[in-house]
Amino acid sequence: MTDILQILILGLALGGVIALMGSGLSLVFGVMRIVNLAHPSLIICGAYVSYWAFKLWGLDPIATLPIAALIMAAIGVLLYRLMFESQAKSARYSEMTVLLTFALAMIVEGFLGAAFTNTQRVTSPEYATDAFFIGSLFIPKGQLYAGCVSLAIIGALTLFLNYSRLGYAIRATTQNREAAELLGVNVNLISMIAFAIGIGLAGAAGSLVSFVFSFFPAKQWEWIAMLMSVVVLGGMGSVLGTVVAALLLSVIAAFVGAWVGATWSTMTFFLALFVILLIRPQGLFGEKPELA
Amino acid sequence: MSELLQVTNITAGYGDGPAILDGARLTVEPGKVHCIIGPNGAGKSTLLKAICGMLTIRKGDVVFKGERLNGLRPDQILRKGICFVPQERALFPKMTVRENLRMGGYVLDDTKLRDRRIDEILERFPVLRERADQHAGTMSGGQQQTLAMARTLIVKPDIVMLDEPSLGLAPKVVQEMFDIMKMMSQEGVTVLLVEQNALMGLKNSDWGVVLDLGRTLFEGPAEAVLADPRIQELYLGGRKVA
Repeated sequence: MTDILQILILGLALGGVIALMGSGLSLVFGVMRIVNLAHPSLIICGAYVSYWAFKLWGLDPIATLPIAALIMAAIGVLLYRLMFESQAKSARYSEMTVLLTFALAMIVEGFLGAAFTNTQRVTSPEYATDAFFIGSLFIPKGQLYAGCVSLAIIGALTLFLNYSRLGYAIRATTQNREAAELLGVNVNLISMIAFAIGIGLAGAAGSLVSFVFSFFPAKQWEWIAMLMSVVVLGGMGSVLGTVVAALLLSVIAAFVGAWVGATWSTMTFFLALFVILLIRPQGLFGEKPELA
Repeated sequence: MSELLQVTNITAGYGDGPAILDGARLTVEPGKVHCIIGPNGAGKSTLLKAICGMLTIRKGDVVFKGERLNGLRPDQILRKGICFVPQERALFPKMTVRENLRMGGYVLDDTKLRDRRIDEILERFPVLRERADQHAGTMSGGQQQTLAMARTLIVKPDIVMLDEPSLGLAPKVVQEMFDIMKMMSQEGVTVLLVEQNALMGLKNSDWGVVLDLGRTLFEGPAEAVLADPRIQELYLGGRKVA
């Protein structure tokens, strides 16, 4: 019983972080139909911001999270204007973004590799290697803090999307771009803002990831597959779905890791992706694809 | 000069594509229901899209209350007082009825005024009040169309343009939609609609506009258009119908 509880706790804490990693991806797809394959590489950028801030000045990665988020959000604005704005009216927009962001992912990886080499890094604040002990249970502080901060950020994002004027506009644009435009929403500006928020979330996730996982530029390939499974299971574009899917898959992966073997743990995500696409391609919270 | 909106010989199309409209004209008088009819591909929807700023007008003029609208964006035209409800997908399916109405008032800066008008609309349309907190996408076709039309009233527009409001609805429900339009026009909101079912549309309108191959064939009082032999020729290849 303690075993089960222990595995559950570890799975949930990690799931929180993965949820944050995936929520930006989901938001960007939901509003702009951009399948952002470069999302993990931008998470890694955020991780480097917090890593170097810690290494050079001893700044806590949770404290530098807002800075990483802001820097990445600004980069998001640049990327949007440079890469996506001119394509917005193209009929093959979504397909095109896959290629564009794939290229971007490789460019970012190459750039990071040249600047920081492919050495494995991990930010090591004291709590990253410490744990709380409750009876025979142990809860690693790093994962717990990261999971809690992630869920707090996602909570704030949800409140923002549901109650602010800008949030209304973003949701409206997600659900019906044409109708939103006709009701007076500047959909281009809203798209840019939503993209910046999405990339800002990547930056924020990066700060937390920097002390939860070890990372290096090429780590993105492992993460893109993991995040895609999460986003697809949740239903493309649904932030709530992403959170539920991330928690669910992480817990399953934790059990698989403990009972079947650690090597099989990562497989859980891919197997899940395969099964979801066969059984329920629209995901948990997604809409049924239209038959056109 | 009693017209509210005057469209003179406009040419328009999608992107760099061929001109769908070429020589379309239209006169809209205040407080009436206007119906644009014509065969498939005549450019009926395109005409509404051109007026509301979704398409670039290549030639000709759209003049509203004496002001040229050519080149304005949809949100600017909305602020001038022309509201467009596109075909079928006008709502935000995963937003509640109340949230949809709130989006209808997106351009209103005065949120208290907006909320007051939302309450007024919910008061007037019991079918919407009963479902205020339900997702719009879960409602029936008629309820959704009612919401789409009611939503336009939040900005108190001069003209509401509706693209095939009867599409996919049962005949009984279609009549309800026309009754709502009539009510809107009686309250001073001018209605301009596109209708596939010419007979049905004209019977419920004051003014008819006949479009074919992107240009206006003729326009006039709805009964006159309905009785015009050219209509039967256009729709039925010249055969007389009872």
